[in-house]
Amino acid sequence: MKFWFVLFALLMGCSSVKEKKTLSDNINIDVKEIKLKNGLTALLVHNPKLPIFSVQLFYKVGGKNEVPGITGASHFLEHMMFKGAKKFGKNTMDFIIEGSGGSTNAYTTNDQTVYYENLPTVELERILDIESDRMENLLLDTDDFNKERQVVLEERKMRYENSPKGQLYLEMMQTLYKGTPYGRSVIGDIPDLKSVSREQIFNYFKRFYAPNNATLVLVGDVELSKAEQVIKDKFGRIPSSPSVEEAHKELKEADFVPKWTTDQVIARKGESPNPMFMMAFPTYKAGHPKGYALDVLSSIIGSGKSASLINQYILINKPVATSMYAAHQSLEKSGFFFVGGELVRGVKLNAFRNDLLKNMKNYCSTEVTARNIQKIKNNYLSDLYSGLDTNAGLASYLGERQLVFGDWSFYKTELDMYEKVTVDDVKAACHEVFMKPSVFVSVWNMHK
Amino acid sequence: MKNKVLIVLMMLTLSALVRAEGFLDSVSRMKWGELDVVWIEDDKFPRFTAAIYFQDGALNDSFSGLTQGTFEQITSGTSTQTQREIAEFFDFYGASIKSNVTHEYSVFSLQGLTKDIDPLMNKVCSLFTDAQYPSNELNSYISRSKSRLKNLVTSHSSLADRIYRQLSLSQTPYTVPVEGTLSSFDKLKTQNLKDRLSELNKVKKVLYLTGPAEVKNLKEIISKKCNWSSENGLKKLSLNKPAAQSSIYLIPVPGANQAQIRIGRYVTTDEVQGKYDNFNFLAGFLGGGFTSKLVQELRVKRGLTYSASAYVSMQRDYGRAGIMTFSKNESASEAITIIRDVFNEVSVGKFSQEEFKHQQGHQIGGFLFGFEQTEAFLNQIMLYDHQERKLEELANYPEHIRSLTQEALKQANLEAFPWELLTIVVVGDKSLEKSLSQIRPVKILDYRDFL
Repeated sequence: MKFWFVLFALLMGCSSVKEKKTLSDNINIDVKEIKLKNGLTALLVHNPKLPIFSVQLFYKVGGKNEVPGITGASHFLEHMMFKGAKKFGKNTMDFIIEGSGGSTNAYTTNDQTVYYENLPTVELERILDIESDRMENLLLDTDDFNKERQVVLEERKMRYENSPKGQLYLEMMQTLYKGTPYGRSVIGDIPDLKSVSREQIFNYFKRFYAPNNATLVLVGDVELSKAEQVIKDKFGRIPSSPSVEEAHKELKEADFVPKWTTDQVIARKGESPNPMFMMAFPTYKAGHPKGYALDVLSSIIGSGKSASLINQYILINKPVATSMYAAHQSLEKSGFFFVGGELVRGVKLNAFRNDLLKNMKNYCSTEVTARNIQKIKNNYLSDLYSGLDTNAGLASYLGERQLVFGDWSFYKTELDMYEKVTVDDVKAACHEVFMKPSVFVSVWNMHK
Repeated sequence: MKNKVLIVLMMLTLSALVRAEGFLDSVSRMKWGELDVVWIEDDKFPRFTAAIYFQDGALNDSFSGLTQGTFEQITSGTSTQTQREIAEFFDFYGASIKSNVTHEYSVFSLQGLTKDIDPLMNKVCSLFTDAQYPSNELNSYISRSKSRLKNLVTSHSSLADRIYRQLSLSQTPYTVPVEGTLSSFDKLKTQNLKDRLSELNKVKKVLYLTGPAEVKNLKEIISKKCNWSSENGLKKLSLNKPAAQSSIYLIPVPGANQAQIRIGRYVTTDEVQGKYDNFNFLAGFLGGGFTSKLVQELRVKRGLTYSASAYVSMQRDYGRAGIMTFSKNESASEAITIIRDVFNEVSVGKFSQEEFKHQQGHQIGGFLFGFEQTEAFLNQIMLYDHQERKLEELANYPEHIRSLTQEALKQANLEAFPWELLTIVVVGDKSLEKSLSQIRPVKILDYRDFL
């Protein structure tokens, strides 16, 4: 763990680094934070390595903000954001960005919608102009809207209906969070996608796409004072949304608590000749202290060739599975621990589920060791190097924390939390979570 | 407006050239005994990558999957350590090892923290000198590999890639799958793998390194512990152009509510010699982003697909030119017809100067992004070396693209995608037969014959 600080020292040429007692004392990412009067937060980092930069715009809106009847609205809107706005016109944005050598895309999750562009430095002013244009004056052209509806439906087929892994994940979320906002499909239910109107999407846009619901992150070879001025010029005039705060307040944490109290076992017929499964346990929202111990636990159990599940079920004389994984997912309002994998034919699912549950409980005693925890910390360091190797990686790292915790520098707290995780912490979290009832979902062509 | 575009293009070109030359300066070439070494100095993080290139690949396999199995199972046990102990060793250091086998060459990569360079490389050498391929671990690997392959039918896209590759390369030795087949996996035996590893230890190798100066410490370890020699590698092959195609191949799969479409052919070295950049430009023009010709025609104008992409990629003695997309069953034949129309239009120069300039801007401006991650730059150098191309070509890429003419694009399309030579593969519902037969006679094949 003592090497954490080196990463940031080397990444940020102008960072000040002196070895002190804790990790967070040693780390200083040099971020210029700006807050406009209309509520927009902007984070700027200078990286002069190449004359390029990455800009990412995080909107605090995702699947959890939708209501029955307009599931998929956040994602559909994400598609429409590339279709044009008042100043730059219809379908020009992609041409401007790609024509200058850049790339752009976006993604939507339960909690957020993120737009990103990677561009040569000379394009700084123009891309900020484009982003402000579509935040303020999206066209939502009717013809484009109806064509894009077809594209979204094809994407849904690709990601979920034709993918056993997608089917599993969707079913798992819908069971785990049944009756809560996280139980809705982020890409949208098919009837909603077919019926949602332009007006509904427009109203959704007006409510959530506003500076007081957004964070802009800029990392790269840009002059920070100039970037700050451009951001003020382009975004400063955009009015804030009067109703977005209310929309967020309406979502109470209690509304996200899973409502079932006994084990849920779901079998879905699919096309997979090998049974595929996911098993999930409810945990804690992002930032909860126990979440860090569960992150470590998930890595011990399911990351790398030496992980417990791999040794127990795959690297054995008669393999039970061809792949196994584990992860702890922290969302803004809740969290869950899950394992999954692809089993070989002939495995009896009920027997496998019981065996897996028994073994996972045993892991709390047998696998949570000081050596394994140190191994996971070593791996986090390597992963962090990889994750922060690009402008886009660093922008994403800072933006995520700003959006979820309201504080980009929360990474310091997180690093401290990981550093302090002990064998007892992980054992306690392990026993607590695996004693809870679980959701077990499988997809197989032998199911009826 | 047009003048402004040109000025920006020139600025980007100059900027890209200056920086690219700077990056080429960071590349050092050395000899460590018989071993050629290429090092890209990078001290951003205290970590390193060592990628060992073997000039030998799946073309030398006596049966499908042998080289891949040799690399993938190299961690299955030595005379002193079990598979579990080896996995624990690398995981504890936060290091990763991986291999990539192609028909013409193979790469074994190690990535880790610089402080751990000695134990990690010592361990890698012990694997190459002492891998035992225990039969129990090997049998487990065979069982898992066969199970995974049987389940490939759940990924129509991956299945389409596998079948398209075998069909489009059927007249060449490259048609044999690198990763193995259901029948070939059973031929994997401990002695086969040991023998293959012994061959690989002798073939020509190049060590590609990124990281700070400490990576030079590897020299002593490799010379003392790895026992590698560097004799000749894979012999050159010469291919004839593909024969004309008269059918569409339809491969029915259960539960298909979309059709996976693959169109293309193999290309020979003679066809691309001296024109690599032209073909690369063509691939970008046809299917290299949201604004590419095919994405505009298929997705933006008609809503037929979520994605479409084009590529012209080369190894040393062969290459492949292709299109990948998918569509609803009912619009699959329409999508293929549109792709054919796009080929026809580009081949007669039916595209605007604006479209052409746009693609120039895209490729020149995007050039620098290839240097943002040192590992990506390393892989680029490795490919150039394998193809026996000079690295100066890479530095000249923006200038070459800037000087490219519309006639060159037209010609590249004519050469890469002549409709009569293209293999068309559709993985989807059996009911597609009728609509596809409007384009070409349909041959229905069983996907299980390609596993």
